[in-house]
Amino acid sequence: MNQTEILLKLQTIFNDIFLEPPTLSPELTAKEVPEWDSLLHISLLLAVEKAFDIRFRVGEVEGTKSVGEFADLIARRITEK
Amino acid sequence: MDLTKIKQLLVNDDTCFWPELATLTRQAAQFDELLFLSSLRKKAVARGLKEAGADEKHLRLAIVGGCSLYPLHELLIHLLETEGVVCELFLGDYDNYVAEMMDAEGALAKFQPDVICVLPVGQRCRYLGALTDLREAVHAAGDAVAVQLLDLCRNFHERTGAEVILGNFILPARHDLGTFRSRTPASDWNFRKWVNFELGLNAPSFVRICDLEFLAHRHGALAAEDARGWFESKQLCASALLVEVCRELARLILALRQPPKKVLVLDLDNTLWGGTVADDGLEGIELGDTSPRGEAFKAFQKYILSLKDRGVLLAVCSKNDLVRAQEAFERHPEMVLRTADFAAFKANWEPKSDNIRQIATELNLGLDSLVFVDDNPAEIEIVRQFAPAVTTILLGPDPAEYVGQLQDCRMFEPHTITTEDIQRSGQYRAEQERHNLLASAADMDTYLVSLVMEATITEFVLADVPRLSQLINKSNQFNLTTHRRTEAEVQSLINQPDHVCFSVRLKDRFGDHGLISIVIGRVHDKELEIDTWLMSCRVLKRQVEETVLNELIRLARVRGCTRLTGVYIATPKNEMVRDFYPRLGFRPKKVTSIRGEFTQELAEFQPKSTKIKTIHHAYEPN
Repeated sequence: MNQTEILLKLQTIFNDIFLEPPTLSPELTAKEVPEWDSLLHISLLLAVEKAFDIRFRVGEVEGTKSVGEFADLIARRITEK
Repeated sequence: MDLTKIKQLLVNDDTCFWPELATLTRQAAQFDELLFLSSLRKKAVARGLKEAGADEKHLRLAIVGGCSLYPLHELLIHLLETEGVVCELFLGDYDNYVAEMMDAEGALAKFQPDVICVLPVGQRCRYLGALTDLREAVHAAGDAVAVQLLDLCRNFHERTGAEVILGNFILPARHDLGTFRSRTPASDWNFRKWVNFELGLNAPSFVRICDLEFLAHRHGALAAEDARGWFESKQLCASALLVEVCRELARLILALRQPPKKVLVLDLDNTLWGGTVADDGLEGIELGDTSPRGEAFKAFQKYILSLKDRGVLLAVCSKNDLVRAQEAFERHPEMVLRTADFAAFKANWEPKSDNIRQIATELNLGLDSLVFVDDNPAEIEIVRQFAPAVTTILLGPDPAEYVGQLQDCRMFEPHTITTEDIQRSGQYRAEQERHNLLASAADMDTYLVSLVMEATITEFVLADVPRLSQLINKSNQFNLTTHRRTEAEVQSLINQPDHVCFSVRLKDRFGDHGLISIVIGRVHDKELEIDTWLMSCRVLKRQVEETVLNELIRLARVRGCTRLTGVYIATPKNEMVRDFYPRLGFRPKKVTSIRGEFTQELAEFQPKSTKIKTIHHAYEPN
C-alpha cells in the first residue's frame, strides 16, 4: 500500500471515530484538530492496529509528527510484519 | 458494534442518546468501543444535552496506584456515570499512592473521597532475596507486603472514612524458572500468590479486594499482559483486561449501596431435569448419573442447593401439573432438591408473570429481589414484559453450561457474609410454620402470646456494623426515610453523644430472626428527631414497632428531651409506612404527598402494651 491508499483507508477510520472528522492530508497534525485529544488518540491507534492488522512497536507512534509520517509508519509495519 | 445511530442521536441533540448510550455501554466488550462511547458522553455533556429525568447519585471517587491511571479512569467514570452515578474525581500521580495516602494534610486527604481505588502493580511485588532462601523468610516478606498495604488502607480509612477498593497482584504469564517456579516460594509466581492470599484473608470489612489475579486468570494470562503499554505509558495491563478491571471496579462501587438478589425462581421441565414430567412420567425424565445429560441436570441442582445454603431463597414457577411436579421432588431417587427447599412453589397454568408476582407477595419481597431462570425464551419474554423489575436469565441450549451460566450471573454474590445471612433460609421456613400456627390460633393476641417473643435492644456496636449497614442499604418497604449509609458512616455513629442509635433482635419459639430493626435519632433542643426507622418486613405485625417506640420514648427521657419528631419520605416502595406515625399516635405537623412531619409530646405518651418481652435495653449495662 502506498501513502495515498493508506490515507484513504485512514480517512474511513477517522470518519468512524470523530464526530466532525478532519479531511486528512500528509501535512495535518493532531494539534490542528480540536477533537483529537489524547483519549481519542488511544481509540484511534487501537482502531488503526485492528483495521490494518498490524502492531506498532514500543515508542514509534510517538515519533511521528504528521498524518503523512504516521501513514508511512503504517506502510512499514504492513511490509515488515 | 454499530455506532452510526448513537452518533446521529448526538448530532441531533436527541435525548434518546442517553438510554442508547447505557445499552451500548453494557454491551461493549472492546476497549476502543468503550473509550469511544466515553468520548461521546463527554461531548454530549459539553453540548448541554441533558438526560431526561435522570436520578443522579454523586460520588467522590479517588483512584491511586502504581500504574498510569489514564485512560483507566475514563472507562471507570464512564461505566459509573452511565449507571447514574456522577463522579467527582481525584486522580493520583503515577506510582505515588503510598505518599498520597499517608499524607494527612495532602490533596487526597482534603478531597475526602467516599471511595478510593488503590491499584498497586506486580512489578513492585517481588521477593528480593535469593531463590533458595528459607521458606519462613520468604513468607515473612510476603506477609510484610500484605500487612503494609492493608495498614495503608486501614489508616486512610480511619482518617477519612472512605471505603477502600484494593487491587491485588496479577501473576506472571511467562515460563521463567521452568519447573523450579512452583518449587520455591521466592518465585514471582508463588510470592505474588502468597501475598494475594494474605491480602484476601486479612482484609477488614471496609476493604474490598478487586481480584486482579482472578480477572487476569479468567481472561488468559498472556492476553492480559501488555509490555509495550507498560513501557510507553505505564498501563496496568492489556487494554482488553483493563475493560474487565474497570467493569469489576464499577460493580464493586455500585455494590456498596445495592443489595444482592434474594430469590432464585426456577422453571422445572428442561431446567431442573430433562424432559417434561407430566408427559414423560417420573421414570422418563433425565436426571442423575445414568446419562451425561442427567448428570448435568443433577449438577445444576447441586449448585442451586449450594446457593440455598448460602442464604438464597428458592422458588418454583412452572407451567405444570402441581401433583406431578411435587411428586417428582418427593419420589425421584436422583432428585437433589426437595419440596422443603423451596420457599414458594407455583406449578399451574397461569402466566408466569402472575405467578412471580404472587411469589414476591408471599415472601414479602419486592419484585426486584427476584431472579427468574427458564430455558424457554417465550416465558422469559412474558416476565420481561409484565414484571420488568424481575431479573431474568435465559438458559442456553446445553444443560452442561447451566451451572457456569448461573455462576457467572453475579446476582447472588455476598457482599459481606453476616451470621443473619446464614440463618435466613431457615427463618423463612420457620415463618411458614408460624403462618400455620396463625391459622389455628383463635385471635391475634393469643397467637402473639403463643410465639413467646423476646427482643434484645442494643446500641450500635462495632461487631454489628456490617449487618447494620446491610439492612440500612437494602431495606425498602418498612423504611420511613430510606437514608442510606456506608459501613464507615454507620461506624461513625457509634458513641456519638448527640445521637440515639439502636437495633433490635427478635427471637421466638420457632427461631431467631436476628437483627431486624434499626433506629437512628438525633438529639437537639430537647427534641429527639428520628432520622432512620426501618424494619425487616419478616416481622411485620409482631408489635416490634410498638416495642421500638417504647424504647425511643425511654431514651428520649434519659436524654432530657420533651418531644419526639418523625419524618416520612415517600419512595416508590415505602407506601406501607405512609401513615405509620399517625397510627402510632403522632400528630401531623406538615404533611404533603411526598413528605410528612409528625410529632409526639413525651408528656402525652401512653406506653404501648406488647407481647414482646424486652430482655435488654440500649445503652444499659448487661
